[in-house]
Amino acid sequence: MDKLIIDDRKKATISNDGATILKLLNVVHPAARILVDIAKSQDAQVGDGTTSVVILACEFLRQMKPFLEEGVHPRVVIHALRRGTQLALDRLDEIAVKIAKDDPAQVRSLLEKCATTALNSKLVAHQKEFFSKLVVDAVMLLDELLPLDMIGIKKVAGGALEDTRLVSGVAFKKTFSYAGFEMQPKKYANPKIALLNIELELRAERENAEVRVKSVEEYQKVVDTEWNILYDKLVTLHKAGVKIVLSKLPIGDVATQWCADRDMFCAGRVPEEDLRRTQKACGGRIHTTVVGLTDATLGTCELFEEVQIGADRYNLFTGCPRARTCTIVLRGGAEQFMEETERSLHDAIMIVRRARKNDSVVAGGGAIDMELSYHLRQHSRNVTSKQQLLIGAMAKAFELIPRQLCDNAGFDATFVLNKLRNRHANGDLWAGVDIQREDVADNFTACVWEPALVKANAIVAASEAACSMLSVDETVKNPASSSTLPNENKPVKPGRGMGRPC
Amino acid sequence: MALHVPRAPGFYSMMKEGARHYAGMDEAVFRNIEACCQMSGMTSTCYGPVGMNKIVINHIGKHFITKDAATVLQELEVAHPAAKMLVLSSKQQEQEAGDGTNLCLMLAGFLLKEAESVLRMGLSPTEVVSGYEKALEMAQKMLEDQVVGQVSDVRDIAQVEPLIRCAVMSKQFGLHERLARLISEACISVLPQGGHFDVDRVRVCKVLGGSVDGSRLIGGMVFRRAAEGDVTQVIPESGRVKVAVFACPVDFLQTETKGTVLMETAAELANFSAEEERIMEAQVRSLAEAGARVVVSGGKVGELALHYLNHYNILALRVSSKFDLRRLATATGAIALPRLTTPTAEEMGSCSRVVTQEVGDTNVVVFEEDNCKISTVLLRASTENLLDDLERAVDDGVNAYKALTRNPRFVSGGGATEAALAVKLAAAAEAEPGLEQYAISRFANALDAVVKTLATNCCLNGAETLSKIHAELAAGRKHIGIFCDPDSGESAVANVSERGLSDLLLVKQWALRLACRSACTVLSVDEIIMSRPAGGPKPRGPGGDDDD
Repeated sequence: MDKLIIDDRKKATISNDGATILKLLNVVHPAARILVDIAKSQDAQVGDGTTSVVILACEFLRQMKPFLEEGVHPRVVIHALRRGTQLALDRLDEIAVKIAKDDPAQVRSLLEKCATTALNSKLVAHQKEFFSKLVVDAVMLLDELLPLDMIGIKKVAGGALEDTRLVSGVAFKKTFSYAGFEMQPKKYANPKIALLNIELELRAERENAEVRVKSVEEYQKVVDTEWNILYDKLVTLHKAGVKIVLSKLPIGDVATQWCADRDMFCAGRVPEEDLRRTQKACGGRIHTTVVGLTDATLGTCELFEEVQIGADRYNLFTGCPRARTCTIVLRGGAEQFMEETERSLHDAIMIVRRARKNDSVVAGGGAIDMELSYHLRQHSRNVTSKQQLLIGAMAKAFELIPRQLCDNAGFDATFVLNKLRNRHANGDLWAGVDIQREDVADNFTACVWEPALVKANAIVAASEAACSMLSVDETVKNPASSSTLPNENKPVKPGRGMGRPC
Repeated sequence: MALHVPRAPGFYSMMKEGARHYAGMDEAVFRNIEACCQMSGMTSTCYGPVGMNKIVINHIGKHFITKDAATVLQELEVAHPAAKMLVLSSKQQEQEAGDGTNLCLMLAGFLLKEAESVLRMGLSPTEVVSGYEKALEMAQKMLEDQVVGQVSDVRDIAQVEPLIRCAVMSKQFGLHERLARLISEACISVLPQGGHFDVDRVRVCKVLGGSVDGSRLIGGMVFRRAAEGDVTQVIPESGRVKVAVFACPVDFLQTETKGTVLMETAAELANFSAEEERIMEAQVRSLAEAGARVVVSGGKVGELALHYLNHYNILALRVSSKFDLRRLATATGAIALPRLTTPTAEEMGSCSRVVTQEVGDTNVVVFEEDNCKISTVLLRASTENLLDDLERAVDDGVNAYKALTRNPRFVSGGGATEAALAVKLAAAAEAEPGLEQYAISRFANALDAVVKTLATNCCLNGAETLSKIHAELAAGRKHIGIFCDPDSGESAVANVSERGLSDLLLVKQWALRLACRSACTVLSVDEIIMSRPAGGPKPRGPGGDDDD
């Protein structure tokens, strides 16, 4: 299920992403803040599995609690937890399936399956096939460093989720424009693109500059020069054969009109990340001066056009020579819904990125958790010390994930878990919960896959958090000083104290 | 004043209203002892490898989960004047030896506790103080006899690592193997030939995410910041990467004096921008011609400058910390230039490679160096608190290495040294003719109490373990202490030097000395006078004098 959270600014967020929820909750309890931390860490390292890491950490603690109450020293428990973690990781390594990287078709299908598994737990689960293809396409377009900021996600309200499209190139919303803009052509094939960091507007050359003139003629000359400086820049661009001018800074009406007269397209105030993406896709450089424009520093693409998407107009650059970037134009109804979709896609993208970097996968849907649980339980039987019980308890904690899956799907968890335990005891490595049929199934053949890294990181983070919580025997809190952080307790209201209603 | 309020005669009549005054054994000495014992009692559960952590929330709401006594005390902001004395002594321990803060604090606490009983018996504080000082002198001499061995070569990792491991063990038990290896490698790699070891040369870079096992050592410097321009890495085919370091912004300098650019003709206006561009291009071109492939700026990298840096394929990085900039200058052998000029060949630094790596979801720029002057321990962990605590453990380990380079001798750890000293001191006390006898035997008791605490923290019965150790020592065996097995987590009485548990002599020496001194100082106070806090702004919370 999803949670609806209203934060201190009365902004509503709908999410089932652990990290997002915990971030919004403003947890103050010192021990509970560790949980928020591990969710963040999972988000940073893997990008998905934030919910499972938190519930796993809690379950570790819950299972260990009876032992502590019976007087087992926390250090012994910590030791067992570390040992159990190591065992689980070794087992994970042992059974994870490596996928050959040389066959592109196989790699692609692997990535799609991982993305599908990640999306399964999200709001957009019923469109998971559609989105998993989209996400994999998006990631495949990137270069080997796979920088996340090279995938842009744009949200346009309206339309259906299926109207979401992937632009293999750059897309951004039409920027604010002046008169004359509508006279400019909106479609070019193979244009030269100049990316600028220059204000194309009549402006002071320098803020603290001053002009002192002695005669009217000189004054007129100064005025003309100001215009000429602007025209010179435009002429340089025009002479270099530039058809499209994009700038981070404003492009004024004079320049807009000038461009319109000469069959050029211009857009000012382009957001910086969009400009950088355009640069990655189309090549060229971002110019802070127009001196030294050459073909090498100008970008190009096969097709530029402006299209209407929903209520907004978008500038699309497609067929870029170095398509190391792409943009997902997300469509959907409510704003919150689209935000959640964006987060889900982010998670899926991260999973696919990780899967591309590390090629070993395990079966999801509780299969790997049951297998680890089984392995730990078997192992605990061979231990003679106190650790036998503790590792056994840890084994039980791993069952939580399939149990929670069943509970959330409305299945009888006890029944399904019994079956699962039996299947794993009979050596069925990848038996997991089958969400569709309320049963157990071999999730590996059912293609519910996730990268082994996700699981490994979740286990490590959960156990580190549990260990640090167990190792604390005393909490000391100093009174908060009032002078250093006056705004800590009262959130800053909008309107800067002018009493704007919020 | 018309209405004079008569005040009680005596001490208070001569002080301003609001002053406080405590005197005598009950009011001053015992109270002080009680306060100190309470404080050291709190940190005593942190002692040893299996001690427990504390969560400390300081006055700005920052969380610390640690068992590093120095950190706990610092964030606690102790206000009691006598307890503060102990805090100061543990701080001094940190500065002198870099480790053993908890030992120092605990020992001082136990010394005071033991002193209380003799004071109640009727000895005067001065007699106790002189007895303790005598005991300290004896203990220091005995400590010399306890030396197990010494590190003959501080570059030999096989010799250094066990000692670092013991230092780290008391902070991060379970992770100590991994950390000790990292720290020893880092320290040895930056030890200059025939020079002094500088703790500043081992850097720590913390990146959230992953597991502690993912921590690694990087030769060179790591900056948690992405490169400014389009160039993200410089890997030369051969030779080295030249680095120019500027302490100033790489941009046009602003004048301090208020001024305006005065233009008188239209031509001047027209040429103004062109001129600016020309100057900047000339500047960057001359940098490129001098061979610089990387430019590090202490401030902003101006847009025009960045444009030309990109044009000439130079990597630009902004380092906002002056200290980091200086370290980078040391690491690369560059001279940080205060103005944007072209560095000469001597002023230009160099390194093997400059690359951008993605660690977790953070991009870091790494200045790699094959034989480096600075190395960085890249720490990974899943929570911020753990990262901070790991950093403290690394600091302690590095400090231990520094102490090692100063005095390579070591004694056995695990409470063995303390137990042996206690037995010897108790025997020596009996030979003492004067009243000091009591104090010396109390000193021995305090040392025993340290061993007992260690045993209790290791889930053993304190009294039982102590008697076992004493029995073994009496049977003529040596180096008997408490050994905590990292594999099984069980602790037992054993010969610790065989198991490789050793502490640095220097740390023990300082801990004994400082603990004894601070205990004596607290004991010799018989009167506390606190004047009324001055007017003006209200002091902030207890302590209130920290400036972080």
